[in-house]
Amino acid sequence: MGTERTVAVGIGAEELATADMTLNIGPQHPSTHGVLRLRLTLDGERISRAEPIIGYMHRGAEKLFEVRDYRQIIVLANRHDWLSAFSSELGVVVAVERMLGMEIPERAVWARTLLAELNRVLNHLMFLGSYPLEIGAITPVFYAFRERETLQRVMEEASGGRMHYMFNRVGGLKEDLPAGWLDRARAAVREVRSRMSDIEWIIRGNEIFRARTRGVGVLSPEAVLQYGVSGPVARAAGVDFDLRRDEPYLAYGELFGPGRPGRVVRRTEGDCYARFECLLDQVYVSLDLADACLDRLADLPPGPINVRLPKVLKAPEGHTYAWTENPLGINGYFLVSRGEKTPYRMKLRSASYNNIQVLSELLPGNLVADMIAILGSMFFVVGDIDK
Amino acid sequence: MGRVGGTHTSGGVPGIGLAKGLAVTLRTMTRRSVTGQYPDTSPELPPRSRGVIALLEENCTVCMLCARECPDWCIYIDSHKEAVPAPEGGRPRSRNVLDRFAIDFALCMYCSICIEVCPFDALFWSPEFEYAEYDILDLTHERDRLREWMWTVPPPPAHDSRAERPKELSAAEGAEGRPGRGPRG
Repeated sequence: MGTERTVAVGIGAEELATADMTLNIGPQHPSTHGVLRLRLTLDGERISRAEPIIGYMHRGAEKLFEVRDYRQIIVLANRHDWLSAFSSELGVVVAVERMLGMEIPERAVWARTLLAELNRVLNHLMFLGSYPLEIGAITPVFYAFRERETLQRVMEEASGGRMHYMFNRVGGLKEDLPAGWLDRARAAVREVRSRMSDIEWIIRGNEIFRARTRGVGVLSPEAVLQYGVSGPVARAAGVDFDLRRDEPYLAYGELFGPGRPGRVVRRTEGDCYARFECLLDQVYVSLDLADACLDRLADLPPGPINVRLPKVLKAPEGHTYAWTENPLGINGYFLVSRGEKTPYRMKLRSASYNNIQVLSELLPGNLVADMIAILGSMFFVVGDIDK
Repeated sequence: MGRVGGTHTSGGVPGIGLAKGLAVTLRTMTRRSVTGQYPDTSPELPPRSRGVIALLEENCTVCMLCARECPDWCIYIDSHKEAVPAPEGGRPRSRNVLDRFAIDFALCMYCSICIEVCPFDALFWSPEFEYAEYDILDLTHERDRLREWMWTVPPPPAHDSRAERPKELSAAEGAEGRPGRGPRG
């Protein structure tokens, strides 16, 4: 605990001299998830300065990428944001495929889109459960985890993993989907959609929850743009930006647009409640997208799900930047290759890293009691910050 | 589709949000619990589930591909060469003999690259997961233990009906069709 005490003279002449206090939240603290440390300067109960201190979980992912081939990189890309593993591995293979100018079989494109959306639902459900938990509502997390389990089962059946799917490969997917999987995935999506109302009813309209989150931690669209905040956090502040619609990759080009299932969920309030609502509504959109992908997969003609690769896969010399709309925001890989089987450099732009920086702007002026509400509503994964 | 609960509470009856939450609780109370009673009933895991790696050492030719491709080098292989006298005289052939094959599951990242690269189908996933240990060193499974896991390896699931035929099948049929290369009796 930092014991630095800054003595400041009160503003009013009549007031007592007060002292600012520096308070460390984390890196080990029951109310933070993971090892994010915040150094708060408090003026009484009010936060006057907040500084996120990051790096306690830095694993050097970017440096490790440089000594891994393109299949081994997927192992690592899985892990920086452990709640968006599928979407993160997707960015890597998209980058390499773009460098190679590789054409991906149509079934692979739709299966990837489907799995990416299911992964998004899984990610959002985690936060829909954990956020109320952080501000004192214990029950929703059980409902969220029930739904997560339903989806994780189909993800595990296809990929073999429950978190680190390791199912993408350059050129498609690792192996074809198991027989009957599409029906089971459809049933899982239907089940989750039918039970989402439980989570809605239990928390969305809850007066206590609303009182804790309405008008708290208002993020302005200007701050969003200045700090490069992205994802549901940015859209809750009114920034209308979603890569799935604005720079479509995979099959999203066919899924977004008038009369199609893809919608960009947006709010304008920018407060904690808007961020929570964005996440909740995005689940419905993702479930609709998953259904559309399932329909499409059932209609596609038989064909391969991957491209046969050479024994040693080398990306040609050059560079590319592949970004994807990950559940938590923009996830980008800047891949520089010198024609070897490992990248020369692979820069990772992770969503949470940028999203968390805005805390230094968002927290000052708020009460300590609201800090957890704000922190939880920023929807971050510490591994994604520290990389 | 979309907003089921939504903004109906604003301006509505005070406390309706809490009441709705309690309604969910009451409804759930009348339903069967979804909690799996784990140690008493074991979970049903799909055949692709990545639980533990099994070794069919009869198939291993000590080519070292798995150990080389492993992203964190958790596979340990020792071997020696043995001279085998050629059956029809001539120069004796040398053959690799496996001395040690061990996987350190404390390091393993469960990425399945080793299984993918194995050209002789010596490594398989098994969904077994109950091998926690009190001592981290015991997480290194030696060849006997890896061989034992083979008994728990399930057959792979059939592929989706729209999947491409496995190339092994087409190759095998092609070989059968060719004259003089059919199954010999």
